[in-house]
Amino acid sequence: MADLLSTSVSGLLAFQQALDVTSNNISNASTPGYSVETANLAEQPGQYSGSGYIGGGVDVQSVTRAYNAQLTQQVRTSQSSYSSYNTLSTQAQQIDKMLSDQSTGLSASLQSFVNALQSVSTSPTSTSARQALLSQGQALAQQLNSYDTQIAQYGSQLESQISSDVSQINTLATNIAGLNKQIASASAGGQTPNQLLDQRGKLIDQLSKYITVQTVSQSNGSTDVYIGNGQALVSGGLAQQLTTIPGSYDPTQLDVGLKNASGVTDVTHQMTGGELGGLLSARSQVLNPTRNALGRISVALSTIVNRQQQSGMTLNGTAGQPMFTVGTVQVLPDTGNSGGATVSATRTSLGQLTTDNYKLQYTGGAWQLTDLTTGQQVSTTGSGTAASPLQAAGMSLAMSGTPANNDSFFISPTAGATAGFGMQLTDPSQVAAASLVQATAATGNTGTAVVSSASVTNPTGYQGNTYQVAFSGPTAYTVTNTTTGTTTTGTYTSGTPLTFGNQQLTLTGTPAAGDTFTVKKNNAANIGDNSNMLAMINGLSAKSLDGGTTSTSGAATNLISQVGVLTQQAQNNAAAQKAVNQEATTARSNATGVNLDQQAADMLRYQQAYQAMAQVISMSNKMFTSLIQAVG
Amino acid sequence: MTISTLSFQMNAVDQMDALQQAMSKTQTELSTGKQIQTAADNPVGMTQVVQLNTQLSASQQYVANGNLAGTNLKLEAQALTDATNVLQSVRDTAIQGNNATMNTSDRQNLATQLQQQLQQLVGIGNRQDGQGNYVFSGNAVGTQPFAQNGNSVAYAGANQVSRIQLSAEQQISTGDTGSSVFMNIPAGNGVFTTAASSGNTGSASIGAGTVTDPSQWVPDTYTISFSSPTQYTVTDTTTGTPVTTGTISSTAGASNTIAFNGVQVTLSGNPNAGDSFTVAPAGTASVFSTVSGLISTLNSTTLSSAQIATRVNQGIQQIDQALNQFSNVQASVGARIDAVSAAQGTAQSQQTDYQSAVSQLSNTDYAQATTKLSTEELALQAAQKSYASMMSLTLFKYI
Repeated sequence: MADLLSTSVSGLLAFQQALDVTSNNISNASTPGYSVETANLAEQPGQYSGSGYIGGGVDVQSVTRAYNAQLTQQVRTSQSSYSSYNTLSTQAQQIDKMLSDQSTGLSASLQSFVNALQSVSTSPTSTSARQALLSQGQALAQQLNSYDTQIAQYGSQLESQISSDVSQINTLATNIAGLNKQIASASAGGQTPNQLLDQRGKLIDQLSKYITVQTVSQSNGSTDVYIGNGQALVSGGLAQQLTTIPGSYDPTQLDVGLKNASGVTDVTHQMTGGELGGLLSARSQVLNPTRNALGRISVALSTIVNRQQQSGMTLNGTAGQPMFTVGTVQVLPDTGNSGGATVSATRTSLGQLTTDNYKLQYTGGAWQLTDLTTGQQVSTTGSGTAASPLQAAGMSLAMSGTPANNDSFFISPTAGATAGFGMQLTDPSQVAAASLVQATAATGNTGTAVVSSASVTNPTGYQGNTYQVAFSGPTAYTVTNTTTGTTTTGTYTSGTPLTFGNQQLTLTGTPAAGDTFTVKKNNAANIGDNSNMLAMINGLSAKSLDGGTTSTSGAATNLISQVGVLTQQAQNNAAAQKAVNQEATTARSNATGVNLDQQAADMLRYQQAYQAMAQVISMSNKMFTSLIQAVG
Repeated sequence: MTISTLSFQMNAVDQMDALQQAMSKTQTELSTGKQIQTAADNPVGMTQVVQLNTQLSASQQYVANGNLAGTNLKLEAQALTDATNVLQSVRDTAIQGNNATMNTSDRQNLATQLQQQLQQLVGIGNRQDGQGNYVFSGNAVGTQPFAQNGNSVAYAGANQVSRIQLSAEQQISTGDTGSSVFMNIPAGNGVFTTAASSGNTGSASIGAGTVTDPSQWVPDTYTISFSSPTQYTVTDTTTGTPVTTGTISSTAGASNTIAFNGVQVTLSGNPNAGDSFTVAPAGTASVFSTVSGLISTLNSTTLSSAQIATRVNQGIQQIDQALNQFSNVQASVGARIDAVSAAQGTAQSQQTDYQSAVSQLSNTDYAQATTKLSTEELALQAAQKSYASMMSLTLFKYI
């Protein structure tokens, strides 16, 4: 009889525990990351009797949680991808929005500036047209400056987000390592600490938002965590710490380092996926390239407009001065340089200028230039001395001082250009609408050749001397510098410019023998001359970038389109990864989450079993009573 | 398959979120009237819109340029018409002065008339536009092009004119220099000029002459000298070689033609022995010097009537050259005015094309967007209703 009671008591206790588990499941039905737990019932060992072994009741042998390692890894992988693309798309959207404004966009401002040049060309003596040109130039400069400022702001927000992500990752790593220790000791008794496991799983889930995560389970119950491209973050109860370090070239751009016994190792390139990976790619794919592309537009504008200004004559009859200032080539030495070399860099060719950044390194007694965007080594000419500067990528690099082996410099031809872009003319009369030179045909000319245009091609080399072009036949001509008396000869083709003394003269028609043309400094009275304005308009619409394939306005349109495509791709990828992540989360949740109907059914099942057990106790009581009565 | 209650709820909420986001995007399209908000919405479309807007703005500027060019050219055309009228009166006056019945004082009256006409011509040459810029001073728009000093007029303007851009490919001159219109007019018949020696005593005057064979003409200076009233010799004085000799009729008042080197000149009247005439390559003469030449000829009290006739004839010939020059420039101005209106017409029709392309690319298709919004609204309502009704389905209700 005692057996009957003890088996029924074991049942009561077991079903009570099972109901506890069910109740816990129901109460955690809405807890994210909660894995449904199951009370595993097992029969207790039997007792031998003559008629055989009689069972000893039931026992809750263990409480286990539902877990699917594969689905969990899928959730984390897709979470990292989603976070990465979502961060990139958020960052890119800011730039996309900034550049896309149709009424105030860069293309509209550039065209307004060209229109203002056109107005000066139609009314070269009008002070109001000239003032309007200066205002448009000012507006263009302000717009480029405001773009640069906004990019800098986005950049500094991005850097502070990198810092905060790194500290989040560190906190999570420490907590995961702490849980690993607790789990290892709690599992020593043979039972799994489900609540701790859930908690650790949740922390690793959170970690996957910041960075790509891989896990490896150990036999003692602890989990090792690797981040990015396989960098160990948590091993058992030990957590590594990440830290931000100022970039070795540009201290405002943070790198990510790993603290270890020997110091800090730069692991920036291993930090892929998640929010941190997204931030790093937004910096390298959106912010820096946009700043460089805008910088190149600033360089193109200032180069073309300033050269033409200096080839022209102002309303006061003087040679024009540059209209725009522009930032110089950015040269940043590596903080680890041990030699004393310095680099002086200038831009030499607009057509060869790229929007890439470069690394200049002194290796094995020679300077090597590497394009940091493509990773390719760039071929250079010159030795790198002041007398023979290194020529590459539209730049001239002259080094002085003594470098140590492997000393390096970061060189960006365009990054700092926009910040220094500004209008420096203040007086409308300073606009050089007229050409610096004028050409006249001699009155006695008998041929049909007429002057089409005369202009200065290289204002820095122009001496201001008077030149006489004399034809000895329809094609043969002699140019005489009347100041020095030096002569050159050439062969004329109608419409093809004759070049001499840093200037060019274009004639059309057929000259006769004895015809002469004089090219000299323009007369200050020729204030109606607009040829220099027309040349400036022409220069701005010319394809002067990318080796003569892209115009200034084309570069502006390309930038909008490139950022647009990148943003769209990031948005699409983020949307796709979000769907993948939702699906994985649903799959994992279906495999390990709580279904209330199922719990209700379980509850009824255990309740009924409990009631049945209670009935058995009541029945054994009746059996005992009837036995007593029969005996008594 | 078991469905986790939490994920069922979360998914339903996520889906409603997505529908709400789609509705908000459609609503932005409707309220802004633009289907492309940023380049990310449609990078290709956005690039096209930006390019089209740039072209539109440039095209509008070209139309404004054309208006200015048209105004300048019309001013010039008017000035040329006025100058032609004045010159026509000069020609009438000169013809009157060529009348043999006129006496010295009659001619001097005509000369006074010519002086006024000369002033009118100089006045036309010095016309200014609305901004005070001189029409005929070339690039030196602030410099008065013609300064009259007595009867002589000098050009002080520039020899080049500015051009205006009518389209990306087309530039036109917005004027002509005073030197090309008024100063550098081909002299004589355009190939050579003729003159009678001032010491001539005979009654012969020389006409302007014509070119009969341009290939034989050698542009040198020639002298036709008479050794008797009928015997003449033509000498190339540039090279100093005799060209031809011949005789002319001695009939009183006869017209004789002398031909050499592909040109011919007509002598009217009878030369005396020792009289000579020159034929020289044509240079250029200004319309002002032609008129002032006529003034001094008509004012002269010393010239013989033959010399007056020769000079007045030459003056009329020169005026015809000037009228011809004015008419050529007028034709070129007219062609440029036509070019301006053609370019403006093209620009305006392009603007319409650009505008419709921009609106097609970037403007919201309201019918489509409204339909889309109501579809999304319906989907959201369905999701909300089904969510609410499914959430009430639980076994716990029945226990």
